[in-house]
Amino acid sequence: MLLEDYLPVLVFAIICIIFPPVTYFLNRLFRPTKKTPLKDSTYECGEVPIGTAHIQFTFQYYMYAILFVAFDVVVVFLVLWALVFDSSMSYVALASVALFVLLVGTAVGVSLKKEKEVLI
Amino acid sequence: MSSWINLYNISYAIGEFLMGIVAAILNFFGQWIGPLSDFADWLMSVNVLNLVAIFIGGAAVMVFVSIINLFIIMWIERKMYGRIHDRRGIMLPGPWKKTHKGTGFLQNLADGMKLIQKELITPKNADKWMYDIAPAIIATTSILAFVAIPFSETFYVANINAGLIFILAILAIAPLAVVLAGWSSNNKFTLIGGLRGAALMLSYEIPLILSVIGVILLSGSLNPIEIVHAQQQTSVLGVENWYIIPLFPAVIVFMVALFAELERLPFDLPEAEAELVEGWLTEYSGMRFGLVFVSKWVRTYAGAALITILFLGGWSGPVLPGELWFIIKSYIVFVIIVWATWSFPRSRIDQIVRIGWNWLIPIAIISIVIAAAFKWVGWF
Repeated sequence: MLLEDYLPVLVFAIICIIFPPVTYFLNRLFRPTKKTPLKDSTYECGEVPIGTAHIQFTFQYYMYAILFVAFDVVVVFLVLWALVFDSSMSYVALASVALFVLLVGTAVGVSLKKEKEVLI
Repeated sequence: MSSWINLYNISYAIGEFLMGIVAAILNFFGQWIGPLSDFADWLMSVNVLNLVAIFIGGAAVMVFVSIINLFIIMWIERKMYGRIHDRRGIMLPGPWKKTHKGTGFLQNLADGMKLIQKELITPKNADKWMYDIAPAIIATTSILAFVAIPFSETFYVANINAGLIFILAILAIAPLAVVLAGWSSNNKFTLIGGLRGAALMLSYEIPLILSVIGVILLSGSLNPIEIVHAQQQTSVLGVENWYIIPLFPAVIVFMVALFAELERLPFDLPEAEAELVEGWLTEYSGMRFGLVFVSKWVRTYAGAALITILFLGGWSGPVLPGELWFIIKSYIVFVIIVWATWSFPRSRIDQIVRIGWNWLIPIAIISIVIAAAFKWVGWF
């Protein structure tokens, strides 16, 4: 049953996965390849690049990534809750979901308040 | 209205015909070589024909989505934003008039031909394997989303129960590829662009899914076909209850989040031309760039199709067949997306993040509460 449902997905996924390599390969027939040292250097608007970009630096979006992980759990729980929601649901179930969302929402709000301005 | 095309049956018939020819040839040679007849019998068995039918159906959807449909929507966008800029847009390589009154419909084909002939440049310092694979991930996942998007009751590749989750999950893989591309190019512009893109996509992933929860709540299903069926029932208002009416805030949130997911203009900071050259795409050239460039429109159409399915009643409509209604509605949504894209100026990164977290998420949660209230009262 599950295999029957997901067999088309598998077949389509195989088509989609072989599509970019086939494009690259076909492209090889049409394009020239003439390597020069200048062409292969990193593009920085004509300047000679100083150092590499593989460095350690302050990742200003770190907080948002953490918040995303926290909030994504809420979203997953909400999807499951919404799937089984109907009017025969008890008040306890409603209240607990509301409390859960409120708690995580407050936590996110507080941590966003503390977050400094993002610059880059 | 009933739909025209039963994709599975048609592709099964085509597959049976083609395999019949192959089997006949094999049987002809099987007079002398025994095993070939057995192989022909195996080719005509139901399981193999089923697989062939799925393959043909999938290929048909892929050709439609990534070639025919793509040319039309790219043409609409380029012509339309030309008009919004008060110029005529693409006009010369059209099939008919080659003057300023021309349609320019073949411009995208010409651009494709141009990109095919361009040299692929890999920077010396780049991480080559990651650099190659990032555009492939984006192209693959963009087209793969269409496996679960039904164009009508019978025109789909796969009818899976968790279709909606599948589509959202597949479309959410892109930030990974963006970071990969940004990091592996070993260029400061691409690095900043990639990280911005990832932050943006992560921030707006949450409102996107939160705004869909209202639909899941009202329809009680994750299957796109059943979501449309739920919208075809008559509501208290006496019309089909398309979810755009009860969930209007959710539609707005979904739209805005979609713009960020697609890196479209009010939120196109990852490739802000004025500051970052071309963002995380700076080092890409030739067909690698072409794949990403084209995937952007494929994803946009996927977004328009999602809005059509979730909020606009999918393929339901009078007189015309379902597939046509679906395409009309999704094109209208696409035109609205293009209109909004080219009407707004670019916003700053802190503004964007603030809009996402401080406005969209609360609005989305309010829309869930509204949906729950409607369902509780029994209106929907």
